[in-house]
Amino acid sequence: MKRKKSLWARSGGEKRKQGKPERFFDYSLFFVVLFLVCFGLVMIYSTTAYTSSVENNGDSFYYVVRQGIFAALGLICAVIISRIDYHFFSRFAFFAYIVMLIIQALTPFIGSGAETHGQSRWIVIGPLQFQPSEISKVALILFLAYVCSRTVKSLHSLAGIGKILIMAVPMIGVVVMTNLSTAIILLGITFIILFVASDRYKPFLAIIGVCVAGMVGGLLMFPYRVGRITAWLNVETDDSAYQIRQSLYAIGSGGIFGKGLGQSIQKLDYLPEAHNDMIFGIICEELGLFGAAAVILLFIILLWRCMIIANNAPDLFGALLVVGVMTQIGIQAFINIAVATNFIPNTGITLPFISYGGTSVAILLCEIGLVLSVSRQIRLER
Amino acid sequence: MHYYHRKKVRICMWVFIVTAAALLIWLIFLMIPQSGYYEQRANDLHERERTIKAARGRIFDRNGVILADNQSVCTITVIHNQITDPEKVIKVLSQELDLDEETVRKRVEKVSSIERILSNVPKALGDRIRSYKLDGVNVDEDYSRYYPYGTLASKVLGFTGSDNQGIIGLEVKYDQYLQGTEGLILTTTDVRGLEVDNTAEKRVDPVDGLDLYTSIDYNIQAYAQQVADRMLEQKEAKGVSIILMDPQNGEIYAMVNAPEFDLNEPYTFTAAVTADENLAQLSDNDKLNQMWRNTSINDTYEPGSTFKIITATAALEEQVVSLNDTFVCPGFRVVKDRRIRCHKTAGHGTETFLQGFMNSCNPVFMDVGARVGIDGLYKYFNNLGLFEKTGVDLPGESSSIMHDINNVGEVELATISFGQSFQITPLQLLRAVSAVINGGTLVTPHFGVKAASADLTQVEVFDYETKASGLSPATCETLKMMLEKVVAEGTGNKAYIEGYRIGGKTATSQKLPRNSGKYIASFLGFSPADDPKVIGLIFIDEPVGTYYGGTIAAPVMKEIFENVLPYLNIEKTAEAAEWET
Repeated sequence: MKRKKSLWARSGGEKRKQGKPERFFDYSLFFVVLFLVCFGLVMIYSTTAYTSSVENNGDSFYYVVRQGIFAALGLICAVIISRIDYHFFSRFAFFAYIVMLIIQALTPFIGSGAETHGQSRWIVIGPLQFQPSEISKVALILFLAYVCSRTVKSLHSLAGIGKILIMAVPMIGVVVMTNLSTAIILLGITFIILFVASDRYKPFLAIIGVCVAGMVGGLLMFPYRVGRITAWLNVETDDSAYQIRQSLYAIGSGGIFGKGLGQSIQKLDYLPEAHNDMIFGIICEELGLFGAAAVILLFIILLWRCMIIANNAPDLFGALLVVGVMTQIGIQAFINIAVATNFIPNTGITLPFISYGGTSVAILLCEIGLVLSVSRQIRLER
Repeated sequence: MHYYHRKKVRICMWVFIVTAAALLIWLIFLMIPQSGYYEQRANDLHERERTIKAARGRIFDRNGVILADNQSVCTITVIHNQITDPEKVIKVLSQELDLDEETVRKRVEKVSSIERILSNVPKALGDRIRSYKLDGVNVDEDYSRYYPYGTLASKVLGFTGSDNQGIIGLEVKYDQYLQGTEGLILTTTDVRGLEVDNTAEKRVDPVDGLDLYTSIDYNIQAYAQQVADRMLEQKEAKGVSIILMDPQNGEIYAMVNAPEFDLNEPYTFTAAVTADENLAQLSDNDKLNQMWRNTSINDTYEPGSTFKIITATAALEEQVVSLNDTFVCPGFRVVKDRRIRCHKTAGHGTETFLQGFMNSCNPVFMDVGARVGIDGLYKYFNNLGLFEKTGVDLPGESSSIMHDINNVGEVELATISFGQSFQITPLQLLRAVSAVINGGTLVTPHFGVKAASADLTQVEVFDYETKASGLSPATCETLKMMLEKVVAEGTGNKAYIEGYRIGGKTATSQKLPRNSGKYIASFLGFSPADDPKVIGLIFIDEPVGTYYGGTIAAPVMKEIFENVLPYLNIEKTAEAAEWET
């Protein structure tokens, strides 16, 4: 509160005598995101033009148009959200969390396993279909940011940390049944928000230790997951490593400068999910190491801007909100790239802003709207 | 408000940066050192090979006449997903190609990447189908082997199978020169195997086969073949073979084995094969093998009297006889317990060795053979290449069938001396006699002279082995004189041509079994007698009626020489034979 006052006093008192305080809007972040979305549309067009025209009677624009509509909607929402004081959303924190918890719990029963995954992850209401798990991520971020900023003093104690963890467990629990990848992201968000909110280090190191032990134990217990590990280790030969193998062919054949935009061959149905989870492979094939490095750099800039906003946020709630969004984007981006390059075993996570997926891009843009809303509450010091 | 969270957010940021750096290093590893490996694997997956046939090398005669050529033919294929008007495609293809509509429909409607309708379609028809401009119908041009003269030297040239591989004859022997190297078109396809437009085709051009230049002379071969065909008909013979060769270097001008078959229809039985009762029991495959058989080199026979040249050579070289030694022929000779007859049952009476040679008298040669002995005879057989294959550049050459030297008794020695009881190929005889008349050099009979690329930038001239037979020039000169006398005054007089110096020897061989009444009439001739430029062997298998070599084979050689000698620029000489005797 002290900082807020000094910001207010300086910007309002000295420079702007009678006007409103000068507000900060993070254009760098906004344009990085805008660039990523546009780049994503270009890559989706490049990836799907051929297969789409084969599947949809010559309509090569099917995927890119759908994605474009969602991206446009998401951008409009983002701008609207960025104009609203983020404290406004705190009143929905509990409500949204409970509602999403119920929806997630019901998804395995009312949802449908659209597209390729086979697991029920979609909810269809009339012409509208969406993945509730994308919204659950926002709900969790909002909920945790709110709760943690309220109970920040108790987070010094293990009991306080445990209490928050227990509150997050139901959401992670219901999601893990249908979607392991999303559960990992939710777990990561919970962990990082708690870590940032608490002034302790050791309990979190202990949690990491427990998680690693749990993962090893889980791998030993569930043969299905072990299958992923053997596929990961024997990517050249294992039957179930087909997708990753194709991704590696795409990445490797890109070389330093790539084959040029639109020149990918692997996208001709050789690489399954080329426009979706595996779009990074096509980026590498067409734009080469330089394109791939540029994409990674863009994500680092995006995360860095988030860090700046979080560390200048007027209060802890705002900071934690931004940290949650930052964590989600960071984890998704790097897990996606790590999977595509066979750095880690396969798990289906999309590349934020770039992969095909209407719900995902729209909700991610709304989250950026939230971050921008926090940035607008920063009072500039002169 | 507390501020420790700022430090923690920075820690998170560092974790992200480290992760990103690790991924970037991994990517650098994948995309620089590993790039080639993955690109290769990806290309293997994407590219479909289409081979481009290399044009097979042509076969030329010695004057540049094309004996084996390539002609353009077309292969008609359909690509299912490119067809826009299937009904029209079915209608046009079934009408133009004269195919059953149902068959065409089945192929057109089959969902496959590419389906072949018909291959070996003449180019004109292929062009007409192309002119319909039907979507999804491909007309690909291709080569097929074509022999402009059909039956000409069929058993020598041979033919090729559908895979551009030689089946018999020179086409087999020189396959590696003629074949060339197939080219490749690498096209990029999507996962369904459809070719992707706008991707660069990688093309490896085919290397055409080398042309084969042979020693065959089209005119001589065609003429000899015409004569052989006529003889075949006149004498109702089973086969007539004619070989004409340059005795100095072994280049074969012509090799006829009538009846020949049509090289453009090598699987169609000739009338002779269909009519032959002996072949009726055989399977089609065996019949074809009989039809394709080159008698001059694939089959052996008892040479008979022409072989007396070899016996005489051995005897003169061993100096066990001189031309004026006298012999008595009562019409037979008793050897051990056998009475072996002369062809003249009344006997030739008293005669010199030279007269005995001119009369082709068997008792004279039995005596001479006995003087030389089997060790002496076999030494000359060996020196004249009768125990080995001639090395001619055709596949499937037979070896001679000779007595084991340890099993040769007096009777065997006597029969060997006048050319019976063993078998050699006609070409082996021709080669041995060539050595005698060319001054003692054993040549390798052959057809292939050189292989060369169409633009003649690459030429490979073939070398053939020659061996010294060890004969003295004097013996060779004597033999040439004796052989000229055979034609001028002896049994070979029907081959005599006024003004030409011709040497030769007749033979009438009984076919086994001896009482079958089947004969081979043959005549071996060469000219000019003092410096032979051409040697020929004519061989009439199972003639009906007169079967004496001197009566039916010698006139044929005369007819051939009358035409071939002027053609080869061998001029008539005014004076008759002048031999130092």
